[in-house]
Amino acid sequence: MHEDFHKDLRSLDAVFEFLDKFALRERLDSKAAYALTLAVEEFFTNIVKYSKAKAGMIGINAARTGETVTVKLEEETPIPFDVTLVEPLHVAVSPAARTPGGLGIHLARCMLDELRYDYEEGMSTITLIKQVREGNV
Amino acid sequence: MFSISTDARGNVLLAGRFDASQTDQARQFFDRISDSATVDFVALDYISSAGLGVLLATQQRLKKDGKALKLIHMNPLIRDVFRIARFDLIFHIE
Repeated sequence: MHEDFHKDLRSLDAVFEFLDKFALRERLDSKAAYALTLAVEEFFTNIVKYSKAKAGMIGINAARTGETVTVKLEEETPIPFDVTLVEPLHVAVSPAARTPGGLGIHLARCMLDELRYDYEEGMSTITLIKQVREGNV
Repeated sequence: MFSISTDARGNVLLAGRFDASQTDQARQFFDRISDSATVDFVALDYISSAGLGVLLATQQRLKKDGKALKLIHMNPLIRDVFRIARFDLIFHIE
């Protein structure tokens, strides 16, 4: 499944609708669906807030092959930002004492099995991978 | 769809999806809370880091006056998010 969304937080409802349809079609269990939804929201929001290309679209592609679900967020941007290189959150520190920022990426990393980043010819791609059990519902 | 309201017992009732597009509405609501309060998650399906940030800011503000938020009726998926974020260390969760 693929759909393009305006680079705007007001697109989130449509993004969730897209992910709900995908989860239903692929019979994902609620835990896997939650993890993917949260990870997509965190990276979508990061792109909206921090991308160097303010206008434009974010393409989301979701697919399941056997026990592997892969979701890609694609954006045309002049400057790459490798999300896999973001410093890990210091979870040993109480949330009240932490430096602000980084929580969303921390949650996404913990809830996914793999996170990849590619940048080629102006196209930035964040790839989220989640393993699901065969026949998961 | 997200909503925030006060129920008949005076508890804050969250419902739907508390995502990054809802933080302004939620922040305005929580900014009006000046005493200890119970936040009922019974109708909340989803929360992301954006929602956690609003709750954390409120908790930190209340804590300065010796007050706190108590969180109740959290579903297991949301409870997991709180655990991963280690927000269970700073909120009383029932």
